[in-house]
Amino acid sequence: MHELSLASTLVDTLLEYAPKNPDGKVLEVHLRVGKLRAISIEQLKFSYQVLAKDRFLKGSKLIIEETPAKTRCPKCGLKQDFAVADDSYHFTLPTLSCPKCRSPVELQGGDEVVITKVRIRSPKK
Amino acid sequence: MSRARGSGWVMGERTEVVTSSEDEVFDIELEADILKANRELALENHSKLKENGITSIDVMGSVGSGKTSLIKAIVSLLKATHRIAVIEGDVTTTIDADIIASEGVPTVQVNTGKECHLDANLIKKALARIQLSELDLIFIENVGNLICPAEFPLGSDKRLVVISVTEGPYMVVKHPMMFYEANSVAINKVDLAAAMGVNPAKLKDDISKVNPKAKVVMTDCRNMVGISEVIHSLGLT
Repeated sequence: MHELSLASTLVDTLLEYAPKNPDGKVLEVHLRVGKLRAISIEQLKFSYQVLAKDRFLKGSKLIIEETPAKTRCPKCGLKQDFAVADDSYHFTLPTLSCPKCRSPVELQGGDEVVITKVRIRSPKK
Repeated sequence: MSRARGSGWVMGERTEVVTSSEDEVFDIELEADILKANRELALENHSKLKENGITSIDVMGSVGSGKTSLIKAIVSLLKATHRIAVIEGDVTTTIDADIIASEGVPTVQVNTGKECHLDANLIKKALARIQLSELDLIFIENVGNLICPAEFPLGSDKRLVVISVTEGPYMVVKHPMMFYEANSVAINKVDLAAAMGVNPAKLKDDISKVNPKAKVVMTDCRNMVGISEVIHSLGLT
């Protein structure tokens, strides 16, 4: 729901690299997005294209890798991907209960939004 | 670091040569956290509140779930023993702040204008307008929304989510993310459950599935039912 403001922060962060590469152009931006974030990948990509109007960023491609959330049970030590409870609704419900011992589990990761790599083309001097 | 290389091939009778663009392509590897700015401001808010010995509660839930009514009810019970202030977040108007102000506690209205959630920066500004040294407890009422506020930590100690039976039987299963980090959840307007054909026990069961650590309380704010239990669930007594 706030992909535009996120894309705006992304563009601002990338523009910090513009002065160091005065004639360069960004080709690709690699982003890691945790699956726990309420972020629509399609809307984020669209917002990025709308905002990346600066010469440095224009035409660059946003490549997104989604990372899963893990859970760890402090009681029985079971580590696994964030589980979805089986339910009678015919739709899925994520759960923070340990499937093995029913104790509350801790979430690990899945909440990040991180730029991992920026590919730049620069005229050879 | 890699370099684009030229290549040539034969096309019909003449040879077309594609020369190397004299460009360098290189990668910058980094770990730039985009959400860092908000998180750092949230930490700043948190330390500022702690320095002043203040407990803070972020109250979240849909439009019309009863966030303001619940805060008003809690304030009415706690104001004799706690020095309380309330930060009211809304897109526009001071209606909620005025309702809370009728309890005689300081309130700050934060109007986001267009944004669907409060963020740490808005809270930082609001905190600058409050005499923190004269307070024990701050409630922050987030903008009515079950999605975005969960994404933006404000720096509060605890999160209280308010849902109501009038929102129908599927609030929790449709919006599980809001409950992952909730410390307490109030199921409000339980007096209307029969009329709505909604089973509050089923809502409670859904919440316990999503987040077994969350403390769930049934409330009817208009008749002050369950208010002490919410206060207790937040560790305020």
